[in-house]
Amino acid sequence: MADLVNLTIDGKAVAVPKGTLIVDAAKTIQNDIPVFCYHPKLKPVGMCRMCLVEIGTPKMDPATRQVVKDDKGVVVIAWQPKLNTACTTPVSEGMAVRTQTTVVSDAREDVLEFLLTSHPLDCPICDKGGECPLQNLTLEHGPGNSRFEYENKQHNAKHVPLGDLIYLDRERCIQCSRCIRFQDDIADDHVLQFHERGRHMEIITLSEPGFDSYFSGNTSDICPVGALTTADFRFKARPWELGSSPSVCNHCAVGCNTTLNTRLDTKTGINEIKRVMPRQNEQVNEIWLCDKGRFVHHYTRAGDRLQKPLIRQNGQLVETTWERALDLVSSKLLGASSVAAVIGDRIANEDAHLLTKLVNSNAKGETRLSPALPASYADLARDYGVGVGFDMKQLGKGDVIVVVNGDVEEQAPVWFLRLRQAVVDRGAKLIVSNHRGTKLHRYAAHIARYEQGMAAQWAAQTDDAALSTEELTKARNVLFVFGDEKLDAVSARGLAQILVGKLVAAGQIGKPNSGLLPLYPHGNTQGVFDIVAGTRHSGNPGVLSVDVAWLVGVGDTSDAPKARFSVVSELFMTALASVADVVLPALSFAEREGTYTSGDRRVQRFYRALPAVGQAKPDWWAVQEVARRMGFVWNFASPAQIFTDLAANVSYYSGLGYEVLAKTESQWPPVGRDDLYYGGTGYENDGGIGVRYASNPSVISAPTLPKMITSMSDLKGPARKLYQTGELIKRSDVMQTHIE
Amino acid sequence: MLKDKYKDRIAAIFAKYPPERKRSAVMPLLDIAQEEYGYCTEEAMREVAELCGIDPTEVKSVVGFYTMYYEKKVGKYVIDVCDDLPCVLRGADKFVNYCEQKLGIKAGETTPDGKITLNVVMCLAACDRAPMCQVNTAYHYDLTPDKFDKLVIELKKG
Repeated sequence: MADLVNLTIDGKAVAVPKGTLIVDAAKTIQNDIPVFCYHPKLKPVGMCRMCLVEIGTPKMDPATRQVVKDDKGVVVIAWQPKLNTACTTPVSEGMAVRTQTTVVSDAREDVLEFLLTSHPLDCPICDKGGECPLQNLTLEHGPGNSRFEYENKQHNAKHVPLGDLIYLDRERCIQCSRCIRFQDDIADDHVLQFHERGRHMEIITLSEPGFDSYFSGNTSDICPVGALTTADFRFKARPWELGSSPSVCNHCAVGCNTTLNTRLDTKTGINEIKRVMPRQNEQVNEIWLCDKGRFVHHYTRAGDRLQKPLIRQNGQLVETTWERALDLVSSKLLGASSVAAVIGDRIANEDAHLLTKLVNSNAKGETRLSPALPASYADLARDYGVGVGFDMKQLGKGDVIVVVNGDVEEQAPVWFLRLRQAVVDRGAKLIVSNHRGTKLHRYAAHIARYEQGMAAQWAAQTDDAALSTEELTKARNVLFVFGDEKLDAVSARGLAQILVGKLVAAGQIGKPNSGLLPLYPHGNTQGVFDIVAGTRHSGNPGVLSVDVAWLVGVGDTSDAPKARFSVVSELFMTALASVADVVLPALSFAEREGTYTSGDRRVQRFYRALPAVGQAKPDWWAVQEVARRMGFVWNFASPAQIFTDLAANVSYYSGLGYEVLAKTESQWPPVGRDDLYYGGTGYENDGGIGVRYASNPSVISAPTLPKMITSMSDLKGPARKLYQTGELIKRSDVMQTHIE
Repeated sequence: MLKDKYKDRIAAIFAKYPPERKRSAVMPLLDIAQEEYGYCTEEAMREVAELCGIDPTEVKSVVGFYTMYYEKKVGKYVIDVCDDLPCVLRGADKFVNYCEQKLGIKAGETTPDGKITLNVVMCLAACDRAPMCQVNTAYHYDLTPDKFDKLVIELKKG
């Protein structure tokens, strides 16, 4: 590290990079200066005064401009006459800080006494109680009593809906402005502000609909008191009663690390997810999560989950036993001349691997990814993807980020936050090219437009100087973020190939922070593709016609094969399930363990948080049972063993295993730890931060451009919005008004 | 709509600021809005937000911060009496009581004829000549009940 600055905090020497704030420097040596308004992810404002400390700098002789030393040769410190905020003061060479003196502890007491003048102290009924910074810091630093008269407490509205997802309790609010600053500086949705002044100051929103942001749930996490609570969790459970399991969100390509907080519901007697919290992974989602990831979990306990296997008898689907259903499926597979498996892109790698292994034992077995479109370019996204050491946080000055045909906020919300920071805060150059406006257009240095469906043609023909080989060669790194909206398979692949061509021409191959970053539809598109890609599969979407088809977690895809006999493994009775011959009840991601591979090829583990629903089983179990009945000697006892087999068969995954994937690294800043924290909720990562497997740019020679469509007909990829109607989101009551 | 009715004035205001800093015009535009509607209606704040290209929440925040932007209907004349400590030492509290009695309303209210709103406000920077008040933009110093009676007669005429 260059430019280290030396200082002492309570006599202890510490060296930190130039520009570090005192409060952060102190954390590095386990000195926990208390804060409310300061948050390491937000710009400091020094509003709450909780972090007051004594600060001194080496005394200088005005005449000689030399540091003054006493007779023992020790540098004399000139202490500032008043306390100062550790959260707004950067360190300087030779600085001395005192955090444990009487003056400081008196100041902390006083600040807390003021903060609590009108605080209702309703901790016993507050959702934050038990994980509340105000509660914790009051216990540690507070005065224990108040000189203010009880009668003078202000009584304010306690149930102010800012939108339909977030409620404000005005009495509890301590005006730290973390929520406002999150919305202004991170989400760039300026929908929260202060109104009025002094004791009348309050948080307001005037957006329509209220608190109009995809990231609103994060404000509840970073709120250091119980002022902001989610409609979903408020009054549902106490934090200390919650079970907690590390998980991974599967709604988009980001693969945000989450913690599923579960508890027995007192009304239904069912163990259910009470809330989904972000789990800190500085490489993936930092400490953020979009509202879709946070609130679309109710489907896991929806009343219409499939509970028992069904088989078709006399034209009707009737309940049956697993034995009969598995016998039927295996007998049909044994007699089949052709077999196809279609695997949805929210299905775990283990299930996809086992089913692929089984289907490929058939001489005419085909496996394919659903939706099919990403399969047309996923090999390029993998082999020319970002490097193993890719870190969005390193993108900044000198780097070029090109977003083509994608709406990052709608399709990968947390990437939007992180790419925006790379551009706005760290000076990366953003080029946006799309057929419609997106939120990223706000920060673009350069904007290009083309007609809907013509992304590949645009990329092939553009003579934009900003995208010239010369410009891209000059860049420190080049990141191409691209999507398949309104493209067919040929153009989607064409677009990826052209982008690869540009990377190759600019010599940007093989760098950690250069490469392709695909905006896949779901959380395991890459993983399922990686597994089916090594086998007989059809990358070219078109209707297959087979004897037996096994559809796993495909929802209501339009790519379903025509089959004489079809098996559907699902959570719900979808339209495809209702016309199937056998329907097998599957477990959701929350009820089992497995791995997903994110859009940037990070393989991540998720863990079991809930017990099974009815007789539903994990898909890998059903596949193995069928295989055994067909004569295979398979004895996989757990997804971990299947993953080992997967790693042995799919070269990209070699060297990976459950133990490696479960490894964690100490995360900085330490937002959610017990010993050192800035006040946050349940962020600690104890489930593993995942491993990105290596890309392999040498496997494909210089790409050749395909013949492309020139008309706008035959468009394939849908326009994707975050809250689209679907099997999962429609089962979350709190999301109903948001579905587009 | 403000943007149609005050097209030229709005254009002149925006001309004072760099084109990428349209949000800087929020306060003079609110002045126009208040002139037009009597106070800053929610609709007016949305209009100003659209003109400046910012979120309506940000406009409301500005309106809330400054005491001379009003969020509810006020009288034609707004009398702001300062009752901060130095003014009270010179009798401002008793003066406020007199005003309330004279106008037959409480501080924060408007007379039934819609002419006068009485407010009690923080420092107006004229302690040396307290009790004092501000009527719309004009200051009145060294007030006594007599002087206030005359002032009210004048205001009721207008």
